[in-house]
Amino acid sequence: VVTSSDDGSPLPGTSVSVLGTTKGVVTDFDGNYLLSGVDSNATLVFSYVGYKTLKIGIQSKSAINVVLELDAQSLDEVVLTGYSKERKVDVTGAVTVVDLASLSGQSLSSGNTMQSLQGSVAGLFVEKSGDPTGLNSRILIRGITTLGNNDPLYVIDGVPTKRQEVFASINPESIESIQVLKDASASSLYGSRAGNGVIVVSTKNKSKGGDVNVSFNSNFSVQSEKQQRYNMLNSLQRGQALFQASVNDGADPNGGYGEIYNFDWNNNFANPVLNNVTLQPYVGGDTNMPVGDTDWQDAIYKTGYVYNNELSLAANSEKSALFINLGYLKNTGMLKYTGYERYSAKLNSSTKLFNDKLKIGVNTQFSTSNENLAAADVGNAPTPGLAITLAPTIPLFDLNGNYGGPIGAGYSDRNNPVLMQYLNRWDNAEKNNFFGNVFAELQILDNLSFRSSVGIDFSDYKRKNIEPKVNNGFITRNVNRLIFDTNKYSSIIMTNTLNYDLELGDHRFSVLLGVESIENKLNTIYASADGFAVESESYFVLNAATGARTNQGISSGNSLLSQFGKLNYAFSDRYLASVTVRRDGSSRFGKNNRYGVFPAATVGWRVSNEEFLKDNDFISNLKLRAGYGEVGNQEIGDVSRFGLFESRYGPNQNVFQPDFFNIYYNVGTAYDINGNNTGTLPSGFVSTQAENPDLKWETTKEFNFGVDFGLLDETIIGSFDYFKRKTSDILITPPIASTIGEGQQRVLNGASTETNGWEFTLSYGKDFDNGLSFGVSTNFSSFNDKITYLPEQVRAGYPGTAENSILGHSQFSIFGYKTDGLFQSQAEADAAPTGGVQTGNSRPGGIRIVDINNDGVINGDDRDFIGTTLPKLEYGIRFNLAYKNLDASIFGSGVAGRIGADPYIFWNNFTQGRDNAGLGVLNAWTPTNTNTDVPSLSLVNNFTDTSDYVFRNNSYFKLRNLQIGYSLPIEMINKWASMSKFRIYVQGENLFWFTPKDYIGSDPERTDVNRIPVPTTISVGLNINF
Amino acid sequence: NKDFLEYEPKGVLSSVNVATAENAESLVVAAYAGIANDEMVGPLTHQWVYGSVRSDDAYKGGGGRGDVDVVDKFEQYNLTVADMGDWMTPRTWTNYYKAISRANFALSVINEIPEGEYGNKVIRQAELRFLRAHSHFMLKLLFNKVPYITEELTQEQILETSNNLSSDELWNVIADDFLFAYNNLPQSQDEVGRADKNAAAAYLAKLRLYQAYEQNDAHAVTNINQSKLQEVIDYADDVIGDLEADYGNNFLDGYDNGPESIWAAQFSINDGTVVSRVSFVTGLNSPHGTGLYGCCGFHMASQNMVNAFKTDANGLPLLDTFNNSDIFNTVDGNGKAPLAAGITLDPRIDHTVGIPGRPFKYRNTVNESGDMIYNFSWARDPGVYGYFGNMKEQQAPDCSCYVKEGPFIGTSKNVDFIRYADVLLFKAEAMIQLGQFGPATAIVNQVRLRATASTSRSIAAGASDIYNIGTYPTFPSKEYALKALKFERRLEFGMEGPRFFDLVRWGEAESVLNGYLAVEKTKRDFLSNAHFTAGRDEYYPIPQREIDFTGGLYQQNPGY
Repeated sequence: VVTSSDDGSPLPGTSVSVLGTTKGVVTDFDGNYLLSGVDSNATLVFSYVGYKTLKIGIQSKSAINVVLELDAQSLDEVVLTGYSKERKVDVTGAVTVVDLASLSGQSLSSGNTMQSLQGSVAGLFVEKSGDPTGLNSRILIRGITTLGNNDPLYVIDGVPTKRQEVFASINPESIESIQVLKDASASSLYGSRAGNGVIVVSTKNKSKGGDVNVSFNSNFSVQSEKQQRYNMLNSLQRGQALFQASVNDGADPNGGYGEIYNFDWNNNFANPVLNNVTLQPYVGGDTNMPVGDTDWQDAIYKTGYVYNNELSLAANSEKSALFINLGYLKNTGMLKYTGYERYSAKLNSSTKLFNDKLKIGVNTQFSTSNENLAAADVGNAPTPGLAITLAPTIPLFDLNGNYGGPIGAGYSDRNNPVLMQYLNRWDNAEKNNFFGNVFAELQILDNLSFRSSVGIDFSDYKRKNIEPKVNNGFITRNVNRLIFDTNKYSSIIMTNTLNYDLELGDHRFSVLLGVESIENKLNTIYASADGFAVESESYFVLNAATGARTNQGISSGNSLLSQFGKLNYAFSDRYLASVTVRRDGSSRFGKNNRYGVFPAATVGWRVSNEEFLKDNDFISNLKLRAGYGEVGNQEIGDVSRFGLFESRYGPNQNVFQPDFFNIYYNVGTAYDINGNNTGTLPSGFVSTQAENPDLKWETTKEFNFGVDFGLLDETIIGSFDYFKRKTSDILITPPIASTIGEGQQRVLNGASTETNGWEFTLSYGKDFDNGLSFGVSTNFSSFNDKITYLPEQVRAGYPGTAENSILGHSQFSIFGYKTDGLFQSQAEADAAPTGGVQTGNSRPGGIRIVDINNDGVINGDDRDFIGTTLPKLEYGIRFNLAYKNLDASIFGSGVAGRIGADPYIFWNNFTQGRDNAGLGVLNAWTPTNTNTDVPSLSLVNNFTDTSDYVFRNNSYFKLRNLQIGYSLPIEMINKWASMSKFRIYVQGENLFWFTPKDYIGSDPERTDVNRIPVPTTISVGLNINF
Repeated sequence: NKDFLEYEPKGVLSSVNVATAENAESLVVAAYAGIANDEMVGPLTHQWVYGSVRSDDAYKGGGGRGDVDVVDKFEQYNLTVADMGDWMTPRTWTNYYKAISRANFALSVINEIPEGEYGNKVIRQAELRFLRAHSHFMLKLLFNKVPYITEELTQEQILETSNNLSSDELWNVIADDFLFAYNNLPQSQDEVGRADKNAAAAYLAKLRLYQAYEQNDAHAVTNINQSKLQEVIDYADDVIGDLEADYGNNFLDGYDNGPESIWAAQFSINDGTVVSRVSFVTGLNSPHGTGLYGCCGFHMASQNMVNAFKTDANGLPLLDTFNNSDIFNTVDGNGKAPLAAGITLDPRIDHTVGIPGRPFKYRNTVNESGDMIYNFSWARDPGVYGYFGNMKEQQAPDCSCYVKEGPFIGTSKNVDFIRYADVLLFKAEAMIQLGQFGPATAIVNQVRLRATASTSRSIAAGASDIYNIGTYPTFPSKEYALKALKFERRLEFGMEGPRFFDLVRWGEAESVLNGYLAVEKTKRDFLSNAHFTAGRDEYYPIPQREIDFTGGLYQQNPGY
């Protein structure tokens, strides 16, 4: 019997031949074959399209059962591109089928498959942080399409969602395939939500090969951020820097910092000499708090550990299939008192009824997680940033064992970050996600099928924030508070599709028709209460509060109603064409423009199937593709089209637009008109939004040209895509003249952008006869975006000026000054143009700002576009090597052609009076130390405006992943417990990186110092299959 | 299925539901709320940023020049960078026009209600026009040329309404609204937060005083209009009010809406709103280095301001020589600044400035433990901004009027826009300009006598009695009288904010401020590049974004 390794089913029609003879047969419907009169020492050759050819010696056996393995690079690989399956060779859009082989067996220390894809899929851009949740800060497909939300759409087992945590909670062993639909012709079938690209995921629903498969994957990881730290001054070094900065400013350092340091100097500003600097013994004179020499990064971080286990079970019977996956992830966090824990479960099952005419099934994904992330201090400064900036002279603990804090003059209004992490140790956010669908597939005719699915995407979020009292130096909080922030989101998706296939000679048609409805609802409740008599975790319950209470909440929702169709046509496996159209109606738009229609068409030519290439040994596959498509975007508020008023009794601006200073911004309608000073106030109404009944879809139109090729019997494969995309009617809420009045802003269809770019992938793989297999795969992608139209009133919201506007530039452009080294003398400074931001920097050792317009003065007109923060080029390269039971892989990726604020410069090259500084300030310019780019120190004249001094080339190449694995010999483990795989491995992630010379910070992926850095991780892991 | 795509917004109303007679009173309340809906970085009520730091009274303070650096640019008169960002003047502009739009919306609804159906119709219209005039008045002080928006303008017309009224025309349209209020409001209202005839009269006195000093396009005073000055006197005489017995009452919780408070923004606490409708506009200004308060040590008194409180043997200010020597300019090992023997001071210094070694806010302890003697270490950045703290906008830390939210403190203490002392000195100024400098002496002395009687709290808290304040003999000349009046305004309203606007009104901002800077920069290095440019720095630039949003409709102020 010949069976498939994919699902264990028989393979009818397999050719079985005897090597070196013309003798051969074909297997019957059940995969059986019978050959007679064959030499008992002969070799049989089994071959079947799409499977690896197998040669096996007869060795006198009478029955030879073989399992054929799917050929990974098979031309007949099937992909899901939207409501239907297609052979990969027939795909004519820009679709990347993610190579899951590189993921399987990997340690997933982040708990998120998306992070493992970073750098390995051309056109997929991932930015991440070191948060233990493993959520990404940004995921972009082919760069930027619109001015607002650029998150892609996920379609998981046919159910759409915009929430990245649904995908993140799927364990890699459950994933059957991931397709990235990059261009509009490929994603157009998802219509109004496809504007930012679509990631199509299907999960496993049956066993491979045998009746029951069990697999167990486990890894243990150790995480450290030591490589990512900034080098900051110790207590005495900081005293030296403050001395130099003070005397440069002509200020007596004892005046500004005499409470922290004793500066013994010659009191001669013309030629200042520091004889000695010593520390005052106590912080702010508090004899309980001796001065410290604290390395805050060392104090707040510890080694983090990740435990990640997943167990899968898959089983098939004749009628039914079942797949179960259970996962448990725990990350103990590197930042003290943080952590993340997640349980996930998946159950996919199906059964066939009525002579296999009807298949019904479910796909479900459940996850529950609990997280405690970086906290903030009383002034809302996040602790990862404080670990860099807090003065080292504050001790971690005082003599009484209480946490040290700032007292007296010269300290910033910031708390001890370790204390803040400790005080927030009871905080948590609990996320429950339920995702999946129930479906039925009815085979009406052999070539006509109907599928109906009801999907649900449900999220239940609950954040508890306990704010105990804080008594930390002069920064205190006298009232404790409990905050519950909860929301529930649900999306119900109903999809009905009809598939019809027809073959007429060389003509193959397939038709898809479908309807879909989506209804989304969101409800939030936010409650807080002050005044808890006891500060214990169990006492912080809303009812226990005795002080002020508030509650807020909103209710919102939207619905989509769609019809769509797709026609695929192929002629003689050489000429391919596909047409799709989708019509979406959205409750977010007014009656005048409620529906949007999104068409797409593609053509393909499989050149390698032409006669003239058939016998070509060099080219094994060649396909040319071209496509055009339109997709939409409806990412605006649910009620954007309405004119609205509301009663605003309680809220301040922070309720509507969370921002630190907005807590202190009254925007309400209540007023103490009676002068009572307290009690319930009279209140009114305020306009919050003006009406726009003409609001309509934002539309993206995209052309894509591609070529797929395979050489030397698919030893070398690759593809190239070029795209050009225009987005118009971009949904924006332009600011308006204030005189129009409060709450008169409205959402408009306004701006246009244009993006073009390309992607190129090339890989080589070969299995040698001696058991060695070797592979290299590379990917490159590039895009350029520019804003082509902006209403004038919106332009002011972007970098640039009226004369030199952002039009024609990327929306991620940086607009700033250019600099040209340091002034070496006062005479040099006096001779240079002055004014504007040069004021204060016209000093020996000051930064010279370039007079771009050559008008002799420095002002705002001397700024220009100096770069963009998204890379021009992204690339990745992976090597795989396997020999017998050993395997190894190495993967690196990088970005080039971008600039970014090097956050370290702010501290390393300048003295911030209240913050600690980096080691670089010890190498600042002085008359005797002129060979440096660190300006002469100053506490008042630091040039930190946007310029090429702060924004530097932060391209990098990173060694992201290095792995070595060993699998026990199959003969050995087979005997133990009929195992089919037992592999152990070690893996390193984020190991080291290369940056340009000018870049002085640590990890270039750490652009936000207020987030936990992406760690360096070492893992050991285990993969077991039964 | 069409119903499936119909969505009714939840928890909100359409204009049809709101613009009704039943809601008229509520819409008026919302308009009142509008004038107090300010923020730390977009103030409407307290003018410490625009009037005090911008003048010779005070420095920005905070953690170095980079901390809220837009205020540093105000202080250094260095606003020439095209893009000032979002904080302060651009937000203030927006917040005033938000307040104006609330008044106009309420007016447009009330105008449509028949008289018989709404007994308070005219009174409420008068209040709303008062509120609208108030916001326009404040905008005029800051930006000089501003568009005047009424309820009769459609959105299209608003976008065609430029800021091209002459200064005099703009004063007059603002005055028209105040006059309507003056003619239609009762003398006082039971709900003390409402505008009344008294407030309208005081505002008209203030407005006509500003209007009397006629300025050309370079902001130089070209003429002083005598008839406007007479109006100042007439309206001031209509104002019924009194000085608080103790000067400090004006700055203490518990004295809101007292006899001296003619027109004020009302704030409240424990009122069921998210953090209470307290005033956070001075929330950055608490003493910084002590656990008694919080953040952030902004708004520090200048050495010049402190020196101004010196008095001579007769208890009169040193009008010409006050800044020849510094006081409190050294600190001893205990964090206290001693005063050289023989120097006497106006008692208002201990109501206005936190001085090391002297009780703060009339207290020496708080909660029986905390030491309320102001200490050097209460200052945040003494090396840059010295250590003289602001006192008027602070309360003792145990005040029941305090809300500490995060590091910032808000209070339910009202912010007075006009207090009776102001009305008295408006009148005195007008009289002096009209040559009646003799009678004006009595008014100035009335203010000084109240200051004389305002030492008991400070002394009870342990302040060393260094006070010597006396009254002026009848002013000998108009020139002397003006000098004395201007100095009296500075002492009486020290660090409250009017100083810069006074200097601009008098046409002497350039001379006074550059004179101040020339000396002050020798004591405070951070001012070494500061320079006031006449013809430009009297007013703030029209926010560039507003010019952009209207397609260049507004004319930018000269020099920007």
